[in-house]
Amino acid sequence: MKWWPVLLAFGLGTGLTHSASADSAPLVQVQVDQSVVGVGDTIHVQLSATSSDAMPGDPRLGATPGFVVRGQNQSSQTQINIGGTATERYTLIVDWLIQADRIGLFSIGPPTVAIHGARYASRSIALRVVAAGRAPARKTQPAPQQSPFGLSPFDPWRGLFPDFGNAPEPAAPPVAVDPKLALDAPRDPVYFLRATTDKAAAVVGEQVTLNVYEYLDISSGSFEREEDHDPQVADFVKHSLIRDDQDAPLVGYASIGGRTWRVNLARRWALFPLQVGDLVIGPMSVTISPAHQRGNGAFKRTSEALHVRVSEPPMARRPPGYALGDVGRFSLRAQVDPRDVPQGGAIGVHVELAGTGSPPSALTPPATDGAEWLPPEIHDELGTVGHDSYGGKRSFDFVVRLKRAGDIQLGQLTWPYWDPEQKKYELARAALGVVHVSPSASAKDQPVASAPDLLPGLPSPHDVLEGTPAARRHWDDSPLFWLAAVLGWPLLLGATMGATAAGKRLTLALRGRATSPAAELRERIAAARQACRGEDARGADAAIARALEAATVASAGVSIRGAIGDQVVRRLESAGVDSGSASRVAELLRECEAARFAPEAVDVAQARERWDRAQQAIRHLERIA
Amino acid sequence: MTRPVLIVLIVGAGLAFAPGSAHATENSDDEAAGLFAQGIQALHNGRAGDAINAFEAFADQGGVDATASYDRGLAYALRVHIGAEQPGDLGRAAQGFEEARGLSHDRRTIDDASRALDAVRSEVARRRLRAGQPADVDAGRSLARAVAGLASEEAWAVLCVVASMALAAGLLIRFRVGGPRLRVGGGVTAGVAVPALALAVAMTLAARHDRLELREAVVVAPGVRPTDERGIMLAGATSLPEGALVEVIDERGTSTRVRFGAVDVWVVSTALRALARS
Repeated sequence: MKWWPVLLAFGLGTGLTHSASADSAPLVQVQVDQSVVGVGDTIHVQLSATSSDAMPGDPRLGATPGFVVRGQNQSSQTQINIGGTATERYTLIVDWLIQADRIGLFSIGPPTVAIHGARYASRSIALRVVAAGRAPARKTQPAPQQSPFGLSPFDPWRGLFPDFGNAPEPAAPPVAVDPKLALDAPRDPVYFLRATTDKAAAVVGEQVTLNVYEYLDISSGSFEREEDHDPQVADFVKHSLIRDDQDAPLVGYASIGGRTWRVNLARRWALFPLQVGDLVIGPMSVTISPAHQRGNGAFKRTSEALHVRVSEPPMARRPPGYALGDVGRFSLRAQVDPRDVPQGGAIGVHVELAGTGSPPSALTPPATDGAEWLPPEIHDELGTVGHDSYGGKRSFDFVVRLKRAGDIQLGQLTWPYWDPEQKKYELARAALGVVHVSPSASAKDQPVASAPDLLPGLPSPHDVLEGTPAARRHWDDSPLFWLAAVLGWPLLLGATMGATAAGKRLTLALRGRATSPAAELRERIAAARQACRGEDARGADAAIARALEAATVASAGVSIRGAIGDQVVRRLESAGVDSGSASRVAELLRECEAARFAPEAVDVAQARERWDRAQQAIRHLERIA
Repeated sequence: MTRPVLIVLIVGAGLAFAPGSAHATENSDDEAAGLFAQGIQALHNGRAGDAINAFEAFADQGGVDATASYDRGLAYALRVHIGAEQPGDLGRAAQGFEEARGLSHDRRTIDDASRALDAVRSEVARRRLRAGQPADVDAGRSLARAVAGLASEEAWAVLCVVASMALAAGLLIRFRVGGPRLRVGGGVTAGVAVPALALAVAMTLAARHDRLELREAVVVAPGVRPTDERGIMLAGATSLPEGALVEVIDERGTSTRVRFGAVDVWVVSTALRALARS
């Protein structure tokens, strides 16, 4: 160290005064350069710890409500007194730079140091913070007598030489704005909240970091919080990465809308999604009021609600034993003790799962024949890891009872998880090795009934997959089936009865049609034509007469069968047949009768001539009809 | 874009993607088969934990197979058998065996699963008796469901059609055909066909409803306490036995309404594991 010679020289001169007070208890002193400061001002807190036993270490400032620690510097000194009895003196000097961030009366510290594992504290420091620019003018730097050696370790020449033109510190130091905190425009005047997440999509169990910043216009005076409402995160497991019960730490300043805003971190949470879906992070709300006017002029500000799309890690290459939600980056370590144990004895298996993420609440131990794993004791050392990750260590202390003698292979503990950074599944594993179990006479003598054979006679495994059952259609999925099954019988009955009735009706119709006058006329004409082709003149005349009779029935609707003489003409005329036609029919009938019953033979040619005339008469009657 | 260009693009895209998707399906099948092989290997070697992990991963991949369900149940049962039981192992074993029975068409698998299921439920009943609780693990099915289960859905459907036709023929003969003997025969046929048709229709509907709507699950946690709809424990209610087959009626949030015999209660959903269906 560059001031060693000077320290030694001064130490030689001043050491005796301090050696007189030296004893085993260290001397711990604290000093500040100003007790009243403005918001945004920085002050130095200096701690000096001197011990004759060992060099003090691990300095801690303690609680700093209302202030933010901006820096820390430290140095150490060793003084050797070689006059008389040789003595040694170790001194640690620490300088903290802290910045006031809100108005009030605060107690800082007490600062502490550790010597040989014991921690020694100085006194707490009371500081008053007033509005920016209202603090009394800063005094000159404290005299170097704050050091037990009469000089500052940060500036050993201070006090020995005149101040060569050091400019006085400004009452309010300039504020450096952070562009990362800037916004296009303030969301609300004076004060507003802004919530962000580090990712918009995650898998179940992956950490989503929620930050809620509060922005306060530094030119708008000071305010006091009256009421806070945390964001609702029902679909997440929540772990706070900062202490929510302390004042929101200052993260910087932002320039928004031409104004300077002080930005505090109100909440930083590690959120672990519990399920798949579009999950909502509710808004945070804060009610604040102007300082010292509690309740008057209070106003409420709310952050925005956020959405996170949560899905499952991919199914492809998912390892056996993976449980949904096991996400992070972990390592597994196991210790087995002892390795030699008598039969029926127990061993301890200490397992540590360490890393970032939310570790599982249970580990499934390997199933080993002859080893009974009892439920473990679980210890957690979890919290913030690094800047904004949640993690740490979870340990499981198993007790394993070993029930059979011999070398028992405990196998290995495995825990598969999804690594969101590498986007792949990983397997944390720890081999447990072998435990030698020596035979025990007492264990042998124990009756078997103490450990009943559970589930004896299990069937053997089946090695061949049956295959995915094919989806098939069922009859009753079709409406046609229900038509046939439920309505089938009335339909069938109705159809049968209908068909029967229709058949009967058709038969009757056909039968009726076969006995009609027109049909009979056709039959008679055909018979007459047939008869006239033959040589039987009498038969032909009879057929012609029957054809004429049928024609009068069919055409005029009047029967002339059995009519004699003029009756034929009269009947026909009464039926609307003109007298000429009636007379022709009557004449033909008379000729036919005469020919049929004549004693001499009748020429068939004459009969055919009569048939020609009869056909003309029949056609004439049909025309009349 | 002109039509030929569009057609070329569509065909090209089809050619480009078809082999990829086929390859992906093939990979997935290979992965599932690999998991099943791992599980079988572990089961034969007595490594129950590894077997469980492999068969559960097989199921997570979407694999539905009677043999895999049976072997998964066997792996849980094996873990109990070797004294490394974890809470819920008996229930999960029962679930695997129940699922295998429902899925399988192989008589040997059905018989083995039934035998193993009896062993598991006997063990649960033994423990419940020792704890002073009712030993009924299998509440059985309702009468209607038992009758419906006597024949397959197809058999009931065929009976529907046959009974319908018989009814029509009987009525026809009874009222349309002459001859006293035939008329009596027709009347008897119709008289028998009416109740047969009613029964067959009811059973076909019941079987169809079960196929499409019935959801069953197995209790996979020991000592599941019944609650009301709000999740408040029912005073004096007996816990549902681990490994019991229940009918799922409704689900709300983290609770599920189930029917176990005549008992109709709500339980926490995580205490149940649904049966896969064919």
